[in-house]
Amino acid sequence: MHRIRDPIYLDHAATTPVRPEVARVMARCLADDFGNPSSGHRWGRRARARLEDARATVADALGAEPATVFFTRGGTESDNLAVLGSVRGAGPRVGGTARGAHVVTSAVEHPAVSAAAAKAVEEGARHTVIGLVEGVFDLEALRVALEQGADVVSCMWVNNETGLRLPIPEIAAECRRYGAPLHSDAVQAVGKIPLSLAEVPLDMVTVTGHKIYGPKGTGALVVRTPELIRPLHFGGGQEGGLRPGTEDVAGALGLAEAVRLATREESEESRRLAELRDVVEARVMERIDGVRVNAGGLERAPHILSLAVPRVDPDTLLAALDADGIAASGGSACASGSMGPSPSLAALYPGDASASLRLSFGRLNDESQAERIAASVADAVTRIRELRG
Amino acid sequence: MMNGSPARPRRILVAMSGGVDSSVAAAMLVDAGHDVVGATMKTFCYSDDDAHADRKTCCGLDGIRDARRVADRLGIAHYVFDVEREFTRDVIDDFVEEYGQGRTPNPCVRCNSNTKFRDLFRRGRVLGCDGVASGHYVRLDRSRGEPCLLRGMDRSKDQSYFLWGLPADLLELLHFPLGELTKPEVRERARALGLVTAEKPESQEICFVPTGNYRDFLEKRLLPTHPALSPGAIVDPAGRILGRHDGYCRFTVGQRKGLGGGLPERHYVLEIRPGTRQVVVGPGHLLEVRGVLVGDLNWLSGPPSPGTRLAVQIRYRSPVIPCTVVACDDDSLELRFEEPARAVTPGQSSVFFAGDRVLGGGRIRRVAGQPGSPGTAGH
Repeated sequence: MHRIRDPIYLDHAATTPVRPEVARVMARCLADDFGNPSSGHRWGRRARARLEDARATVADALGAEPATVFFTRGGTESDNLAVLGSVRGAGPRVGGTARGAHVVTSAVEHPAVSAAAAKAVEEGARHTVIGLVEGVFDLEALRVALEQGADVVSCMWVNNETGLRLPIPEIAAECRRYGAPLHSDAVQAVGKIPLSLAEVPLDMVTVTGHKIYGPKGTGALVVRTPELIRPLHFGGGQEGGLRPGTEDVAGALGLAEAVRLATREESEESRRLAELRDVVEARVMERIDGVRVNAGGLERAPHILSLAVPRVDPDTLLAALDADGIAASGGSACASGSMGPSPSLAALYPGDASASLRLSFGRLNDESQAERIAASVADAVTRIRELRG
Repeated sequence: MMNGSPARPRRILVAMSGGVDSSVAAAMLVDAGHDVVGATMKTFCYSDDDAHADRKTCCGLDGIRDARRVADRLGIAHYVFDVEREFTRDVIDDFVEEYGQGRTPNPCVRCNSNTKFRDLFRRGRVLGCDGVASGHYVRLDRSRGEPCLLRGMDRSKDQSYFLWGLPADLLELLHFPLGELTKPEVRERARALGLVTAEKPESQEICFVPTGNYRDFLEKRLLPTHPALSPGAIVDPAGRILGRHDGYCRFTVGQRKGLGGGLPERHYVLEIRPGTRQVVVGPGHLLEVRGVLVGDLNWLSGPPSPGTRLAVQIRYRSPVIPCTVVACDDDSLELRFEEPARAVTPGQSSVFFAGDRVLGGGRIRRVAGQPGSPGTAGH
């Protein structure tokens, strides 16, 4: 029978396990503070107090004001709200509807942003995509786009497929110069790179819980000027009307605790992850020919190692690794489980269709696993190449 | 032993389409103690079709989802393999080319012969598997050394017609757990196991044309000026014009429906002439032929010598025709039927049998051994 050694989880960019500290905070809330924060009685008051604690904690960890933190049900919701909510909010200023609004995004956005931009286009908006020039964000193209006036600019802080960092401070400076609201999806950035909205003032920022050992289905959108955006849900007016629906207090507390711990431990953990990544990267490169580190030589977050492996089909590589107990992913997880072409990689390496393997590191990894990871990847690649003939 | 499950435990990659048959095949292998890995092949880009068409297919996203749910239920690993490029090259392009030439292909045969099993073997080896299984209703007899491919026990479901093109060297490593079962038995097992696919309807259409509308499909892939999509004449065997058609790709030799009004009763398509875009029709007795020339051969046992008697099946679900080998070389095989047979359709598979055993097969090139019959034009 086929034996699987102890499995190794290398997909922290997809999701992470809930930390015990987070689980404890949530369990206490679920047991004791079940009230509806909108209720006027003591149960409601207690739940409301906990919700506001959570808001203050998130704000403090990100260097923002509590009044600018709006809880959502995850990263996708926050991104959709930032992009589509801004476009719809711009309507009255640009002629009554979304028609005429201008959305600007980078070429390496998560589908939660790019698909929302596509939806905005469907509603009549214009969409300008800012590419990379040899891996570097094209600030000149951004300036050209901003000259035309932009109702929302969305550029992710850290790319989920490659770990590539976009120059958010420079982008923010340009946007401020032209008076364009800037949103950044910081889902892969929180806890991985230094991030303070007090130092880099943005108009909107997306965070989520489940990439940083918090619960799934939790997130927040930091919005400096809520009047500029329109909600995508309608109901009881919770979260300042931006995200109505009875608040998930336990989820908000879990998110808050996860954000607090992630930002507090960031410098130590990111150093540890960078070292681990570098060791694995070096050992893989020693063993296999022709591998390219995606975004290698560019500014990268420490937890993602993306490898382009020519002459190997990605589905088989991932299956072989899984069979050997290594849980990795391709570009990013998609509905069919099979991998389509990745716009992010195409922006980095135009015309190159090589399969890419994403290993993403986190708390379930340490240096004792490095040798086994590298050997397993090399072995799978070699076997696939041999059988390919 | 003739059972589809090998005796000693193996690590087996099972092709799971998301239908009931392959679900039960996987379950039976798990039950027999094998280390089973599920695989679903994504063969076609379903985003080209509207959402409703997608729902009917067997291998679309719904199929992938169902296969995953079954694999999860069985507690086995399951992977999706994107073979779109290979499938388009080996199966869809051929399908379009054949219809363009006025022939009637069997794309499932092409897939089984060139794409599915070869690909699964290659990937299976990387995953440490020493066998590949599918939910086809056929049997493998391993009792006499060299494994023999046999018809499925359930004659109404037997799929040997679609498997003649299997590479002979792979037979040894193949497993068909459903070969001894009937379809109702398979459904019964699926229900007993609580599989989500237990009541799933049969997929009758080919996976990449879920609507069954080949014309629409061909229109997306051929130039609008292609002869197969252009108007032409419906003629009788003497060449008299009986009517018009709007593209010969709608027709198959032996077809009776869809010839349009105004024709005498019970006319059938006798021949398609792509060169002149003519569709020749006539009364049924003119479909009767005495032999066939088959090309693109594949043998699961050695090729026969002239004079050998065997049985040939010239379309899915039709009875076999006793025949004699007139000539056989690497490229083609000519057979003479012992009784006249109806509707030899160029492009369709001819599968050769000795009793239940599949000897091999090929593609029908044309009618043979009948001077003056419609199919011998250009001979």
